[in-house]
Amino acid sequence: MEKLYIKKDDWKEFLKGKIKANKIYAPVENNNFLFYEVLNEEKIEKIVYDRARTVEPLKIFLYPFKEFAVPEVEIKEKIIVMGATSCDLQGLEILDSVFKNGDYKDPNYPERRENLLIISFDCKNPYSSCFCWLVGVKPYPEKNFDLNLSLIGNGFIVEIGSQKGKEFIGNDTRFYNPNEIQLKTLEEERGKVIEKIEEINREYSLKNVENLKGMYQKEYWQKVKDIENCVSCGSCNFNCPTCVCFLLEDTSENGFFKKVKVWDSCLFPGYAKMASGETPRPTLFDRYANRLLCKYWYMKENYGVFGCTGCGRCISGCIGKIDKRKVLTEILSEKVKV
Amino acid sequence: MEKNIYKPVKCEVIDNIKESPTINTIVLKPEREFSFLAGQFASLTVPGVGEAPFTPSSSPFDKEKLEFTVMRTGRVTEKIHQLKKGDIVGVRGPYGKPYPLEEFKGKEILLVGGGVGLAPIRALFLALIETYKEYKKIVFCCGARTPSDYIYKDKLFGEWQNLCKKIPLSFRITVDRKDENWKYMEGVVTCTLDGLDIDVKNSISVVCGPPIMMKFTTLKLLEIGFSENSIYLSMERKMYCGVGHCRHCLMGDVFVCKDGPVFKYSEIKDKPNIWV
Repeated sequence: MEKLYIKKDDWKEFLKGKIKANKIYAPVENNNFLFYEVLNEEKIEKIVYDRARTVEPLKIFLYPFKEFAVPEVEIKEKIIVMGATSCDLQGLEILDSVFKNGDYKDPNYPERRENLLIISFDCKNPYSSCFCWLVGVKPYPEKNFDLNLSLIGNGFIVEIGSQKGKEFIGNDTRFYNPNEIQLKTLEEERGKVIEKIEEINREYSLKNVENLKGMYQKEYWQKVKDIENCVSCGSCNFNCPTCVCFLLEDTSENGFFKKVKVWDSCLFPGYAKMASGETPRPTLFDRYANRLLCKYWYMKENYGVFGCTGCGRCISGCIGKIDKRKVLTEILSEKVKV
Repeated sequence: MEKNIYKPVKCEVIDNIKESPTINTIVLKPEREFSFLAGQFASLTVPGVGEAPFTPSSSPFDKEKLEFTVMRTGRVTEKIHQLKKGDIVGVRGPYGKPYPLEEFKGKEILLVGGGVGLAPIRALFLALIETYKEYKKIVFCCGARTPSDYIYKDKLFGEWQNLCKKIPLSFRITVDRKDENWKYMEGVVTCTLDGLDIDVKNSISVVCGPPIMMKFTTLKLLEIGFSENSIYLSMERKMYCGVGHCRHCLMGDVFVCKDGPVFKYSEIKDKPNIWV
């Protein structure tokens, strides 16, 4: 992959030129958390390059919480998102498979995806909830980006991931070839971040997570006490980079069909309830199990990759303070054999 | 199908027939041709009210009109029962995999339907009798709670039974509780399977009905010698999209909408809570 280098000050100037014609979102700190904000000259100074993921998953730019499916939304705006991390880029594997690459295309997603330019960042400082490496995702992007930035010294190593990314840089001479030391530093720093994630997760083991296959019976899950703390709020679903479930609401009027797509949560008791009132997952344990089975089994069967990218949002956002890694470690251990 | 997968085809209601105290058949005329194969389903929109999935009950060979037989159970089905001639509804689809009629050829076909489960079976039955020479024989087992709960009464106790004189077709009809005029069997639908004259080694069985009926019918079929591969079940789950996106219908790792709704028993027997 082609790598370039740019000094931080030059990058800021480069961005100042770009915000005139483009709507660019980037991670900015707010109350210790990173949120995407639209860049202006002032905000360019506040972009955080050396931490981890944002609070919002990348999917909000491609798959809004609520939107019209009929008639389809007219998507003209091209947007640029900076600061997506590897965990969120991995989530695109699922989103693209569901909404873009199958036999049936979502009415809005493919165009939004086409109109999105992604400038990802290396994860430099993982949170205590981060565990990408445990599900086989590296903390630095290897695909699904147009450009990737890694803060090295007083500048960035810029990896070019696509033709779109290459064109974004154009012939700008502020980008030049990195030297050996910079490349070596990049590799070392990336290795250190992996070590950090291993250290954060030393109590947990997800090595045999594929053993969840077949573990439908709620008897397994009832043994994990922490699950009782789930309040079915759906935070884990809505924060997840790969949760795609939605419901379609009919809002037709005046002879025109209208349908609205709204995110749904499989933790809600009514999620799978049929008109008869029956549901295949009547208890909290059934529903909690279903979410994890979906991530580590169903999605793997359906799309070839895990539905979990290790971003940890379901852990940091959990009202019941459930640590999914602890649940998985317990359930995969001998302790809960039925 | 429309370019936008969620955009329905406009249909005019041309009739709304009362079949039983809780079940109606609505007859629709689509604005443009709407084709489906027996076993596939469609999503029916009542504008401004909602949308729900149903398997058409009319013949797949009928290109003029489309029928859905609907039990009143919730908000949308309540409105469907109130539809009047001239009302406009929407239909999108067809979705899912049909009954694999190619695999049925040369075999004896056993149809088992209970209650409103006779609706999808009716579409299949109408397709089968259109091509009856392809099959060795057709045995149609029907069940309902009481005689008045039967749907398609005019056809079932008339026209269809008359066909038995011309083609290799027979009926076995039962109700859970009979009345004084009932001249068929009494007992739950599985009792129609006792003493069946059918070669189980060269047969296909198709089951549709409420979950409890499907469960016990399947168990009975296995008991009398049907293989797990020769029992076809029509499954039902909460659905929105119909195309494998919204994930509401997942039964373990299989989508009822996309991989079904018709499954061989062998394909789903190990999935969670299949008999909800």
